Amino acid sequence: MTQRISKSKRFYMMNPIIQFFKFIWLSIKIMLVVAGGHGGTRKVNN
Amino acid sequence: MSKIVILGAGISGHVAAAHLRRKLSKEHEVLVVSPNSNYQWIPSNIWVGIGRMKSEEILFPLPPLYKKKNIGYKQALVTTFHPEGDTESASPFVNIKYVNGEQKGNTEKVTYDYLINATGPKLAFDMTEGLNPGTNKAYSVCTYSHAEHAWHALDDLIQQMKQGKKAKILIGTGHAKSTCQGAAFEYILNVEQELRRHNVRDQAEVIWIANEYQLGDFGMDGVLLSYGDNIMKSSEMVEMVFEDRGIKWILGAGVNKIEDGIAHYETLDGEYKSETYDFAMLIPAFSGHGFKAFGKNNEDITEKLFKGFMLVDADYTAKPYEEWSVQDWPETYQNPSYKNIFAPGIAFAPPHAISKPRVRKNGTSISPAPPRTGMPSGITAKLVADNIIDTINGKKDLHHKGSLGNMGAACIASAGYGMTKGSGVSITTYPIVPDYNKYPDTQGRKLGKTFGEIGLAGHWLKLALHYAFIYKAKMKPFWWLIPE
Ligand SMILES: Cc1cc2nc3c(=O)[nH]c(=O)nc-3n(C[C@H](O)[C@H](O)[C@H](O)COP(=O)(O)OP(=O)(O)OC[C@H]3O[C@@H](n4cnc5c(N)ncnc54)[C@H](O)[C@@H]3O)c2cc1C
Repeated sequence: MTQRISKSKRFYMMNPIIQFFKFIWLSIKIMLVVAGGHGGTRKVNN
Repeated sequence: MSKIVILGAGISGHVAAAHLRRKLSKEHEVLVVSPNSNYQWIPSNIWVGIGRMKSEEILFPLPPLYKKKNIGYKQALVTTFHPEGDTESASPFVNIKYVNGEQKGNTEKVTYDYLINATGPKLAFDMTEGLNPGTNKAYSVCTYSHAEHAWHALDDLIQQMKQGKKAKILIGTGHAKSTCQGAAFEYILNVEQELRRHNVRDQAEVIWIANEYQLGDFGMDGVLLSYGDNIMKSSEMVEMVFEDRGIKWILGAGVNKIEDGIAHYETLDGEYKSETYDFAMLIPAFSGHGFKAFGKNNEDITEKLFKGFMLVDADYTAKPYEEWSVQDWPETYQNPSYKNIFAPGIAFAPPHAISKPRVRKNGTSISPAPPRTGMPSGITAKLVADNIIDTINGKKDLHHKGSLGNMGAACIASAGYGMTKGSGVSITTYPIVPDYNKYPDTQGRKLGKTFGEIGLAGHWLKLALHYAFIYKAKMKPFWWLIPE
């Protein structure tokens, strides 16, 4: 096992209070990617 | 009045049925044909496979729901396709075979005006000698019964490890062309965490084996993503997680034979190797179901409908990797020969892989097939339903389009279960199929929409999605407000 995630980063990753806000941020960010829509690629490449 | 027949009640078939029924008036018939009378939320199989969820929590019976919602249901398998009808009738139909109840074994002609083939993949265990879930100490988590079986074997091994046994656990892909690396990635991280929870981690060697050329390929040629303030490759992110968890890896491995506790594989370097194990979970190749199609006079027209999976509006011209483009990918999932047939989800034939193909000197191709995860499966099913509704309402063109080259996907990979100890690797990708013309400097993806996060929030999100999608699938009030 090689420690690749620092102690402070691990604290950040697993702290429930920080992660609660992260949860809200992630939910919104993912919704934006999902709700960002979808379409074709052939006629107009946009 | 139109009759829409949907083959399969997985994510895409069920989404299509639900939207069609909600938006079409009662005079139109919506009928689902599927052999499994339960709806299963497949992504949560990972947690069944580590004993943290029971199958009953991830499935529910479809017949009562369909009855309540006025969706017809036949518990049967489709066997043959007849898009021109036959000598007796001009109506297109499929032949089905009942798999349960009094009708078991009986066949029936089911006619349709529109057909949605949402039969997903065949789990082709038979393509790897000796790979059969539950034999040779190798398991699968592709269905809830497979996952339950895997958990019983893993639990058994954990008990032996508690008595001092040292064990080797091998998780990854079981064929040179397997896809769905994401599911195996989730499973290896969950298993590793469970070993720690049971205080037996020190006795286990945990190994990732995959047909990927690099870690984090996931069948998508990897992704360049933003992670905090950094920009990193998915290979770097996965390497960081694996090293931190003490997981070893074998890459470019085409597993070709399984014996009791031994996985044989060939490598891109041309070597033949093997790895022993005490427990393995290996994702099989996914193939088409081998369906046959027949014309009006019973002549074989399979090549008009299938190329393994179902042919749709993709560009199937064979060309080298350098000439692949996002424009090759389908937009409407409509069969070019029969305009009333569609194939969303995994059922459509992809024009080519997404990952760069890598071939051994002897010709064996060892590289992942393109993944089609739950979100695009749902989105493509919904757009197919919307196009059918438009056509019924008299519109000429198909307005709803959704190419994987112009669609984002969110993949919340569970990295361990638990309200305070759990973790998730959340990755979003836009677009799924890289567009190298549009995003030339960021490996074909838009960075702001392609990002990664690791932590407890990912676990909560995955759990929240589990409940949200089961709520949606049960078609409870306002279910349609939850996006695919
Ligand atoms: C273990 C695992 C974990 C996963 N985790 C995630 C995840 O976290 N996120 C994500 O987005 N995706 C995930 N996926 C992928 C996701 O499950 C698939 O993308 C999705 O299930 C595809 O939906 P589908 O409807 O096309 O196919 P399926 O879900 O496979 O459904 C096919 C349906 O067709 C039926 N059928 C089969 N043969 C016939 C026949 N002859 N006649 C009629 N019906 C037939 C089947 O019974 C089934 O109902 C995971 C997959 C696995 C295996």
